[in-house]
Amino acid sequence: MKPDVKRVIRSTQATAMTAWLWPFLWGTLLAICIVGIPHAQGIFQWIEPDVRQVIYQRTPFYVLLERHVLVVGVAAVVTISLGVGAGIAVTRRKGQDFLPLVSQLASLGQTFPPVAVLALAVPVLGFGTLPIIVALMLYGLLPIVRNTLAGLQDVDKDIKTAARAVGLTPLQVLYQVELPLAAPVILAGIRTSVTINIATAALGATVGASNLGDPIIAGIINNNMAYVIQGALVIALLALTVDSVFDALQTRLRLRLSSS
Amino acid sequence: MSLLDALPTPRLGRGGYPNAVLISLSVVMLAAVWGLDTVSVAPNRIVQGESVHVQNAFGWPGALLVSLLVIALGSLAYQPSRIHYWAALGVVVLLLVLMPFGLMVASHFLIDPELPQARLGIGGGYWVVLFISLLGIVELRLRLGLKRLWPVFILSGVGLIWWLCAWLWLKDLALVQEFKARDHQFIQAIRQHIILVSTAVSVSVVMGTLLALLMRRFARLQKVAFALLNFLQTIPSLALFGLLLAPLAWLAANVPFLAKVGVSGIGNTPALIALVAYSLLPMVRNTYTALEEVSPDTLEAASAMGMHRIQRFWQVRLPLALPVLLEGVRITTVQAIGLTAVAALIGAGGLGTFIFQGLGQAAMDMVLLGALPILILALLVDAGLGALAEALRPGGVQ
Repeated sequence: MKPDVKRVIRSTQATAMTAWLWPFLWGTLLAICIVGIPHAQGIFQWIEPDVRQVIYQRTPFYVLLERHVLVVGVAAVVTISLGVGAGIAVTRRKGQDFLPLVSQLASLGQTFPPVAVLALAVPVLGFGTLPIIVALMLYGLLPIVRNTLAGLQDVDKDIKTAARAVGLTPLQVLYQVELPLAAPVILAGIRTSVTINIATAALGATVGASNLGDPIIAGIINNNMAYVIQGALVIALLALTVDSVFDALQTRLRLRLSSS
Repeated sequence: MSLLDALPTPRLGRGGYPNAVLISLSVVMLAAVWGLDTVSVAPNRIVQGESVHVQNAFGWPGALLVSLLVIALGSLAYQPSRIHYWAALGVVVLLLVLMPFGLMVASHFLIDPELPQARLGIGGGYWVVLFISLLGIVELRLRLGLKRLWPVFILSGVGLIWWLCAWLWLKDLALVQEFKARDHQFIQAIRQHIILVSTAVSVSVVMGTLLALLMRRFARLQKVAFALLNFLQTIPSLALFGLLLAPLAWLAANVPFLAKVGVSGIGNTPALIALVAYSLLPMVRNTYTALEEVSPDTLEAASAMGMHRIQRFWQVRLPLALPVLLEGVRITTVQAIGLTAVAALIGAGGLGTFIFQGLGQAAMDMVLLGALPILILALLVDAGLGALAEALRPGGVQ
């Protein structure tokens, strides 16, 4: 192996390593917060000197975190399969007719304010976790559909024609050519969608879905700033962790695309 | 730019291929009409209503009329042509106009005049048909190549008819009863909501533009500012509202001047600060990209014609960037309309008050009274600013 090739490989490995540094750091910080908040009586007492109870104790933070991640995760899985599925369907020849309507529908979804969707979903679905999942799905659909469409439409026509000419079936073209080439753009859409939804999910606490929004609501109602800070801190750290994981994934994807 | 402008609009079906979109929309609509409950009847405000299906709500003639209209829509789409599309648009508008009259018929059949508290709720079928009709209008607008302003006009007309019907004849409708019980409060809340949103958006437009201009001048600022604004977005809106309570309360208590101006822990001040903080990111991002994206060739041509820097900015860069800039204003405003609803939790008033009060009392009609105007407001702003951006695009409509 030539020395410069070796150096390129080594620097590629180095970039791949540093890409995972941030998720690790944010994740560690998140873990420290989850474990440490119940023991940080002193700090929060300093923020709210007049209140007797400064640590949110109704539910342990790791349970709240778990529920929060579950809600966002379920919404993300449904949104991703719906959004990417719809994006693929309307860029095929048979589904072409639906292309304008689907893109309009997705942008309409983001026009609906999550609070209003949440409020309208409650009479139909009842109080609890279900309405917030629906609201998150509607809100998160646009970035995914938009990026899937953009990614698939940006794939060079000549490459597709060449792939067909080599004898690939349309399905093989989709899986082996179009999706891998569009993957970075689609992943960017998923990243936006999930990051927004981590913050938005806190609204669920207003309709009885227990998650990291709980301490915030309790803090606003009882005028206890310490609760609000605890909730906000954990949510922000969760969002930063997830965002940096996506960042690392994107880096890896880019490296793989450029190396092959 | 909105996504749609980047997409190729399909041509009118020349060979007369059936329009699959409209046909599937009408199939779904027909299924909703017959499968879901049309209205619900409740003896009072708290009790869950009893759902009623289409044949009992409108009687058989009414149910058949609705079905015929929907089938007509589907069959017009089977052999598309310009005339057929216009006719289909007429059918959809007729369907929308007939909706409140259907409710009148239903209230005549179902509401016992002896029970003053009895009320008519709008059922799932009604909402689905309404939503799909809107999608139908969007689809027809694209096929006919109409401007964005058209659906706004059509829907304003339809909305006016609905409003008149609700005002004059639909006294048994739950939503109307809920409104009549607190009409002053409602108008106050709408005014408050609009004032909050427009103040926050105007402040963030000014600040956002200034920040974007500074970023273009000082490259280092760009990274710091974007990192900070991105971080702000990860804090949930709920928390940002909450976090501002304490510092502002402290300021109001310790700086008499600020308290006199109206700064306080709860109410408008924290709401406005949080709204502006959230609005800045979309505003700055769009303004910055809008100004950056202007093609260098055009700018060079402008310099070659002898324009100096300031002229070039005002006469070339800004007009060319304006549509994208307006897109930023649109996103910001729509987002602010939703966030202002959350601000009701810290006593800022607005339509969110009804949502959270209604949720607290488990009175879903009241929740609806708060949520529907927010939705309509968001859609109106979205359509209006979208149409404005379209009209301002250099070279006219694509």
